[in-house]
Amino acid sequence: MEAGHTVTLAAMGSHFFVGLSRAMILFIVSSGLSFVLGVLRVPNIAHGSLYMIGAFSAFAVSIVAGGGATGFWLALIVAPLVVAAVSFIAERSLFCRLYEREHLMLLLFTFALMLILDDLVKIVWGAEYRSIMAPDFLKGSVTIFKSSFPRYNLFLLIVGPIVAVALWLFTNKSKIGKIARAAAVDREMVGAVGINVSWVFAFAFVLGCFLAGLGGALVAPTVSITLGMDHDIIIEAFLIVTIGGLGNMWGAMVGSLIFGITQSFGVLLWPQFAIVFPYAAVVIVLLLRPTGLLKSVW
Amino acid sequence: MRRKGRKQLLGTWVCLVLGGLFLCSLLFLPTQALARNIKVGIIDCYSGPPAVYAKDALNGFKLALKDINKRGVLGKKIEFTTRDTKFKVDIALNMAKELVMREDVDVLVGTINSGASLAVSEAVAKKEKVPFIVWIAKSERITGEKGHKYVFSTGENTAMAGKAGGVALSKKPYVRYWIAGDDYEYGHAIANAAWRNLKKLKPDVKIIGKSWWKPGEPDLIPYITSIMSAKPDAVIFCTGGRSMTNIMKAIKATGMAKKVPIWIHTATDHAVLKPLGAEAPEGVMGTMDYHFYYPDTPANRAFVSAFKAAYGNPPGFPAFHGYITAKFIAKAFRKAGSLNKKKFVNAMEGLKIEGPTGQIEMRSCDHQAVLPMYLGVTKYSPKYGVVISSNIVTLTGNEVMPSCDEIMKARQKK
Repeated sequence: MEAGHTVTLAAMGSHFFVGLSRAMILFIVSSGLSFVLGVLRVPNIAHGSLYMIGAFSAFAVSIVAGGGATGFWLALIVAPLVVAAVSFIAERSLFCRLYEREHLMLLLFTFALMLILDDLVKIVWGAEYRSIMAPDFLKGSVTIFKSSFPRYNLFLLIVGPIVAVALWLFTNKSKIGKIARAAAVDREMVGAVGINVSWVFAFAFVLGCFLAGLGGALVAPTVSITLGMDHDIIIEAFLIVTIGGLGNMWGAMVGSLIFGITQSFGVLLWPQFAIVFPYAAVVIVLLLRPTGLLKSVW
Repeated sequence: MRRKGRKQLLGTWVCLVLGGLFLCSLLFLPTQALARNIKVGIIDCYSGPPAVYAKDALNGFKLALKDINKRGVLGKKIEFTTRDTKFKVDIALNMAKELVMREDVDVLVGTINSGASLAVSEAVAKKEKVPFIVWIAKSERITGEKGHKYVFSTGENTAMAGKAGGVALSKKPYVRYWIAGDDYEYGHAIANAAWRNLKKLKPDVKIIGKSWWKPGEPDLIPYITSIMSAKPDAVIFCTGGRSMTNIMKAIKATGMAKKVPIWIHTATDHAVLKPLGAEAPEGVMGTMDYHFYYPDTPANRAFVSAFKAAYGNPPGFPAFHGYITAKFIAKAFRKAGSLNKKKFVNAMEGLKIEGPTGQIEMRSCDHQAVLPMYLGVTKYSPKYGVVISSNIVTLTGNEVMPSCDEIMKARQKK
């Protein structure tokens, strides 16, 4: 075939960073999914829709704020909060009645919720493609390893670890985080010591969905904001959570890195079949470690 | 007795006069009035991302119908019903069958999905002998190798777009090309058509690499950086739908357009450029078969202002296709003079209508509308406040369409 241009070390280096920046978005979204899965035992298929709502809200906020840098920063803060509010309503009115049901029911329910949210997005924002802009200092690209690397991806490389550390501090150091983790392991025991488990669940759900919204807002400047973006992410997020270990936050990190970097290197090494690489990686991981790389809380 | 005779005479006179009037009316009417309204069944994707384009086409169609129905077609009106295909082939097929069997439509119109259009063309139009006009889907196979008596296309197709790209690129000095795009029918069809024509016109060109990603892939940065590290002379991107926005953003973010010449069919599409605003890259070559700002003729201006007044925004290329589709249908029924489907098909062949961009002919050999292609380069326009197509070169329909001989050969091959 015509392929077979030489793959230089510099190109490998730049692709490593490109993959890493993609992994950051994947991590933020999938850690939220993993958290909900771990604490609530709910496989939330609507997680992708919340990510999409995050992106659309970011668009709406930046328009209201008149675009530009202020619009972007405001969108980054407000959009996840909008998603958190939506998820809070969904949790208190619907989810909280269903926790005792079997997984299949929950799966069906979140699937229905996904369809409803998708239609809601269509009603509110219509079917057109939307787009928002990053602030000027995040536009354009810098040269890393002799190839151009978008500044916005550098920004993602900074945001990702911050979110990871914040999440770790929160779940390990704060009281409510500890309670949520305890509820993930043994919810009866948590209830038995006099803690209102229902509100712990509500909190965990909202936090997970907040992360989905944050991921959507962060990805918004780099893609077209449109219906259907939820389907792409939800499949990838579930795969990441599965290979990382269900409910394990660091598992989500490892899974995201594997997914992002294999995809990026796949593009470099064998561009015509790049689509296959991350999925092949998932298959290999699951063959070697069927329960995921890190300890699952299930 | 006598009075009775006079009465009889009067009766005869009345009969004669009425009869004469009736005969006269027949003489003045070109043909007989239709028995009922003309029914058009529209199947298209009205949910999900492709809905933007499908709705635009429908709006163009409705705008033309307003005018047509004011005058009427052979004393009757054109009415239509729509069905949502949800971008799925099986649903499109069911909907098309339902429209033909239950609603008894005279003409089928649709869709944005090439796969669905091909399936409806084969399984419904050809089998049930119902005319089917494809208005957005761009697969060249619809009127090419898979074409038949009952299928028409009022949109440009991948062969035309690819040839336009090939012709344009053959005039440039580039030799080493990289081809990349969405891994589905449209992407590959554009790539093949562009490369086939480019290679024919300029035999020394070569492909140094290819990349294919899943349609709608959100992160195209790795693809672009890997292409740039291979340093091709020029890149042909074969993307459609929402990948268009993603690729344009990635091109802008990496500054690729400043370093490598790029051609993307529909890069100059307003629906792609407008949401991007100032984030649309400049200097990307693109081809389109319609712009609301070009050609700047009275006919196009009138169409654009009527469309804006009705729907609030300027028409996109699907609206243009929808508009001319309605005009073709009305004129063909007037010419056919009946609801007979065979007569309609015969009337469509070689039919010429006046569209916003000038006269448009339905080529009789392959049932493909002869449309010009506008090749341009993206550039910021202070007048519109967004990036638009500039330095537009018009390639006529005959320049970019495969010849009738080529079409017939392709049909025999299959």
